Amino acid sequence: MLASHHRVGKGAGVLFATLSIGLAACGSPTTGGGSPSSSPLLIGVIAPFTGADAALGPAYFAACLPAARAINNAGGVMGHMVSCQEFDTRGEPADAVPAAQQMVASHSNLMAVVGCTSDEAASVAPILNQAHIPMFCMTGQSEFNKTTLTYFHRLVPPDEFDAFAMVGSALDHFNYKKVALVFGNDIGSQAFVGPAMTALQHLGATVTINQAIALGQPSYRTEVTAMLATHPDVIFTEALGPTDATYMAEVKQLNNGVMLPFMGTSATIDPVWFKAVTGAVGVQTVVDKFTAVDLGVSFSGPGYDEFKTNLDAVASQFPAAPTYSQRGATLHLYDGIMQAALAMDETKSTDPTVYNPVIRDVGNGVAGSTTVNTYAAGVAAIKNGQKVRWVGAGGPTNYNQYNNSQQGYILVRYDASGNEITIGTLTQAQTAAIIAAGGG
Amino acid sequence: MSLIVAAFGFGLVSMSIIAISAVGFTMQFGITNMINLAYGQVMIASAYAAYAVNNAGVSIWLALPVAAVFGALFSFLLNRLVYAPFQRKGTNLIGMVIISLAVSLVIANVMLPIVGYYSVSYHQNPGTTYHLGSIAVTGEQLAIIGVAVVVMLAIHALLRLTRLGKAMRATAANPTLARNCGIPTARVIDLAWLITGALCGIAGAVAGMNSDSFSVASGSEFLIPIIAASILGGAGSPYGAMIGAVIIGEMTEISAAIISPEYKQVVAFAVLVLVMVLRPQGLLAKRGALAAAG
Amino acid sequence: MTYYLTTILVYAAVDILACLAISLQFGVSGIVNFSFIIFQAAGAYTAAVLSLPRDTANGGFQNYILGLNLSFPLPWIAATVVGAVIAVPIGLVALRRLRSDYQAIAMLVLSVIASLVVTNTPAFLGGAAGLSLVPQPLSDKFNPYSDSYQWAFTIGALILAVIVFFLVQRVINSPYGRSLRAMRENEAAANALGKNAVALKMTVFIAGGAIAGLSGAILVGFITIWAPSTWLYPETLILFAAVIVGGRGNNYGAVLGALLVPVGFEEATRYIPPFGPPGLIPALEWVCIGGLILGFLWFRPRGVLPERRRVFPPRRQVAEVGNPSASRD
Repeated sequence: MLASHHRVGKGAGVLFATLSIGLAACGSPTTGGGSPSSSPLLIGVIAPFTGADAALGPAYFAACLPAARAINNAGGVMGHMVSCQEFDTRGEPADAVPAAQQMVASHSNLMAVVGCTSDEAASVAPILNQAHIPMFCMTGQSEFNKTTLTYFHRLVPPDEFDAFAMVGSALDHFNYKKVALVFGNDIGSQAFVGPAMTALQHLGATVTINQAIALGQPSYRTEVTAMLATHPDVIFTEALGPTDATYMAEVKQLNNGVMLPFMGTSATIDPVWFKAVTGAVGVQTVVDKFTAVDLGVSFSGPGYDEFKTNLDAVASQFPAAPTYSQRGATLHLYDGIMQAALAMDETKSTDPTVYNPVIRDVGNGVAGSTTVNTYAAGVAAIKNGQKVRWVGAGGPTNYNQYNNSQQGYILVRYDASGNEITIGTLTQAQTAAIIAAGGG
Repeated sequence: MSLIVAAFGFGLVSMSIIAISAVGFTMQFGITNMINLAYGQVMIASAYAAYAVNNAGVSIWLALPVAAVFGALFSFLLNRLVYAPFQRKGTNLIGMVIISLAVSLVIANVMLPIVGYYSVSYHQNPGTTYHLGSIAVTGEQLAIIGVAVVVMLAIHALLRLTRLGKAMRATAANPTLARNCGIPTARVIDLAWLITGALCGIAGAVAGMNSDSFSVASGSEFLIPIIAASILGGAGSPYGAMIGAVIIGEMTEISAAIISPEYKQVVAFAVLVLVMVLRPQGLLAKRGALAAAG
Repeated sequence: MTYYLTTILVYAAVDILACLAISLQFGVSGIVNFSFIIFQAAGAYTAAVLSLPRDTANGGFQNYILGLNLSFPLPWIAATVVGAVIAVPIGLVALRRLRSDYQAIAMLVLSVIASLVVTNTPAFLGGAAGLSLVPQPLSDKFNPYSDSYQWAFTIGALILAVIVFFLVQRVINSPYGRSLRAMRENEAAANALGKNAVALKMTVFIAGGAIAGLSGAILVGFITIWAPSTWLYPETLILFAAVIVGGRGNNYGAVLGALLVPVGFEEATRYIPPFGPPGLIPALEWVCIGGLILGFLWFRPRGVLPERRRVFPPRRQVAEVGNPSASRD
């Protein structure tokens, strides 16, 4: 009896060991053979790819592919070719920690990491910082406004700035006076509510109702009826997944087929959101009634063109890539990768402790630096002994002392094909003024 | 006050959808001893099947039978290929629950690359909105309530009036005895899965119609109210599931009106907890019917 | 590499503790507690709000109760106590004369309710955003980012797991453990012999809750964050899958299960080589996890290390009472 017990234990142990060794052995994503100068570099995309936020990961992956293509076409980073790999955090911080550790442990050739959303940034950023890996994170959480993590870079503004921009647009551009707040009750969306309410109240507008709606519910009709009873001029919203689609469709139904004006945060400028909401309320309704604030990019110029060309070209690897041509996050992460690559070229080093501090300079520019919009141009300028400033798909970067950058907002609406049309702008200075007036 | 009345009206639609799905879920439990945690995923898969047809230009009402057939076949195969073999191997009750969880993981993540992470909507016409006092219902919602009523009556007729229904009730009560009395329990179980699978499919399509937008992740959202309604009414009892659906459906909407939308589910489930404390076998199960045979 | 190793080891310790707790509640005394994750979450939140400073600190972007900035080991002890305390009301609901799986699903809904309440009450425990920047144990005295700290933490966690393992082993092999198994196998007979089933079950339930609370404290002390997304209801089911795959009713099975499912399956699948569009491999990882659970349960339905049937030799061998192997269970 005891003997059979041991045999069972041994069998299971052997099975498990073989299984994990087998899986580990077949998982060597970068073929590292050959001389050091030809060994490839890796950009890690760490984000949710499964679970409730599964739509985020691909949007960030769509930033890496065109960047890698542009870099490789110009000869790579000092001869090293660059590739992208996804690392799924499964949408929650306890799973994100082993994902980040495994990424760092198994890949000694990580040159930069992009992604790290609000779902997991707080647990992942310290890990990457300790491993000395430059990261470009997509989290609007306030805890990073004054971060001490030197490898952390954020090219998107904190969520509260989105809220202030929405308020500014509503009051100045549209003259709305009564606002309904309808935000999802998840981490990323609730961050807007407090700042929006403060700003609205300080600037003399009224918040008619503040609803925190549970995501993914089959119906919000009661909530919609309560909201309609307060007669707002406009609805501010961010509720991802099918939630906004469900809610807005019911607004239209319960308001006699007439949709109220609604305004979204920068996260609503996203092909997945567009597809969901237009499917539920109809394209024309979105075109007519929906506006949003988006990060201040112009979607034009040589930097953007280079990005778009490469984005379209990677459709063979990732068919949905071209749909992200106007997604703010995708543009900014692409720029981040380019900044890291150029910093490596400038310092002629693949050691992050050497090139990480230079990323700031490449983003902000230093005295006498040449502005470049394509990677090839950057490499050429560096070869000429110059320092470069990268101005790419997302426009110029302005890192503050905490490596946070933001450059104002644009007010946009959609056209029938899902493209963004700019209808107004808020410069950095104007945003700052609203922030100050709104008690931010 | 008018908000509460309006909420009551919305609750009628919610309860209809929960009723169709909960009856199927609880019958799977009652007749085949299976807590099928993959039920929500089968609902979503059927909803996507209807979407595929609907997207090709077919009216959603004609796509509804497609969802029913898809759900029926999927559930039938699920039982034949996965659940029944494991049960024959002697896996205990909790092991079967874990197996259904593993199955739901597999289904959800096989669907994800196939249909994508997008949220989709049916091409549908909500119809005119009828007002009865503060209650506002669209034509489509009335049709959904109608579908639920028809389904409930059909299940009632099946269970009370047909031989198959009697065979199902016998198998649910005591499978060994039923078999010894000459009831072909294997065939009864197959048919039970086909029928409850069809309910699952209909519920998925109808839920997709009502929510105007759904994605793969919606599957796990659907599951919890279904479980709550089934337990509230008494696990294994279809009539109990109908009553449970009424309670959960109405409580959800009315508490959103009275308290606040954030707590609407909490209140509904708190009612469940109360029932569990006071009458743990559910509302309609007879006392002692579920002895501790764990 | 070091930090991945320490991460895996700490997670293994936490999962071992969780599986031991489940094994105690479920395997030995037959209570199916599908609200299990509440206990781990309660422990984690308790440890967090006791170690964190007041919520106005760090720029005041968080919102939570307490914030007493207590130092180790008080938060961990408190977490264990809280885990034990909340086992009382939940146990009273759980300990009804019901079929195990039906009761289990009712408990599942309980954990959903708890999750909803916490998510929608932002001032209580941080709402959906949860709590972050939780100070690690003794981080005011030592640098938590140093190798030595990481290893000390890891070894400490593993030592706790081993201690709890031995404690639970002692319980199972004691007369008390025999009463529990008797109660599980045939409650009527056990009652007839004068064993108070409800009191026994409750005690075991509380013990399991305490261990679960401790596991939560260790986890939050390591990852410094805790949010509702970390303790959704499927987490309980993954842990149950671990216990069942490993073998219910015995601690070796629980430990093996903890190493196999939450650590082994979930981490090994990260090594699947990348191909295809983004999102394909991550989805495939979950398919593999589900498939592995199904596979293990198919080939070893009673678990890899099933519980040994204890057969007591007849009284005739009383002469060999000095022989240790005859008296061991």
